[in-house]
Amino acid sequence: MRKLILSAVALAAAGIAGVGVVVAWPIKNPVDAIEMTGDAQRGAYLARAGGCIACHTNWDGGGKPLAGGAPLVTEFGTFYPPNLTTSKGAGIGNWTAEQFAAALRQGVSPEGDPYYPAFPYPFYANLSDQDIADLWAAFQTVPAVDEPAPANDVSFPYDQRWGLKLWRAAYMFPPSTRPVEGKSDEWNRGRQLVEGVTHCAACHTGRNFAGGRKLEEKFRGFDGLPGGGRSPAITPEALREGGWSVSDLAYALKTGIMPDGDAFGGSMGEVVTYGTSFMSDADREAMAIYLLNEDETQ
Amino acid sequence: MKLKTILAAAAASSVAMGALAHSGATGIVLERMQAMSAMSEAVKKVTPIMRGEADYDADTVRAAAQTFEEHSGTAMTELFPRDNANEKSYAKPAIWEDWEEFERLAVRLETLSQGLAQAADNGLSADKAETDTGAMMGGGTSAMMGGTSSEVSMEELAQMPADDVFAEISQSCSSCHTRFRAERD
Repeated sequence: MRKLILSAVALAAAGIAGVGVVVAWPIKNPVDAIEMTGDAQRGAYLARAGGCIACHTNWDGGGKPLAGGAPLVTEFGTFYPPNLTTSKGAGIGNWTAEQFAAALRQGVSPEGDPYYPAFPYPFYANLSDQDIADLWAAFQTVPAVDEPAPANDVSFPYDQRWGLKLWRAAYMFPPSTRPVEGKSDEWNRGRQLVEGVTHCAACHTGRNFAGGRKLEEKFRGFDGLPGGGRSPAITPEALREGGWSVSDLAYALKTGIMPDGDAFGGSMGEVVTYGTSFMSDADREAMAIYLLNEDETQ
Repeated sequence: MKLKTILAAAAASSVAMGALAHSGATGIVLERMQAMSAMSEAVKKVTPIMRGEADYDADTVRAAAQTFEEHSGTAMTELFPRDNANEKSYAKPAIWEDWEEFERLAVRLETLSQGLAQAADNGLSADKAETDTGAMMGGGTSAMMGGTSSEVSMEELAQMPADDVFAEISQSCSSCHTRFRAERD
């Protein structure tokens, strides 16, 4: 009996020590100084394509641009996309470009805390220093709004931010944005966008009990989106079966029009309205070529 | 060829009507679905033209514009009476909670439809290669970063290439669906 108690105590101690180790585990990697000059217009393009503006603005509530988005209701709790305006108190006005880089590419706050994956930072990991500089320049043009977004309303155990370090170790997959040899420039550009900044897989891939993406279900759709939404499968096979051509898909990303004459609603409507409708025809076509895997050079 | 197109269109619309009949919708909900269906048929007809994949035909564009106009503005809002809010349909309660915005979008569709009719003879935008989104949205980085851009007026619409006006129309469909239409089961 005594032995049993002792081993239970030992186990508990090991558990606490383990948690201690995780809590102290530094996750932030050093960031080289972002020294190049940013192009604000190009950065704004990335902010549209990446969904920064769609998600961090409460459009339906009449909110100011990037002053904090509509709440995302999930099974883990309610997340409030924070204020990203130049406000020093409520936004990111006090940040450095390097802190901005760490937030986007690593998902780590200036304080060194991991962000919740409601923020799709794993898709931004391969943004170049120039991309970051451009985005940073664009964010400097956003008028300050001095009201902070509400704090996330997340219950135990998901409110234990150290737990996110374990999540990162298990589910923070690097985005496969690097060009593939032998593929056309359009296909590779599509890959860079789809797998990276436009983060299609964030909604179109199933997630497990911990909110981690199930890689084997990539692009097969998901029924458990925040707010009870669902996303269809967007594998090349599923798209073709649904009657989508490259031209259909590129046009839908511009206008919201589907092959059957209907127009997107739901969260895809937001993606198009606040995001992809601002992209260039060439980029939308590249995304469609990649998603349908229709490469002329094949 | 022409007969084939007509037959195909007839078949498509009877399929659409069939789907409506089977949805069990009656009364005003059915009327709504018929109106939406008429618009989606018109969208399907002009989309290949707007994408430059079918020969440009101003009459087809005007006909589509007329269909949109017939179902926009008050013709649209009258199909959503307040006492109908609890009826089972794809209409979200947000329509009645945020009636002003719903009405604004319905009226906007009417303006845009009239604009498309006037722009029908303008043809497609010459250069499809590069869109300067900043300028197109009525501002530079500010509009691109989410700042307000003023709505394009009727006079401006009439001068615009037809495909750009149509893109505004389709985006208004999508905006309205996003806010006010529940997702399909």
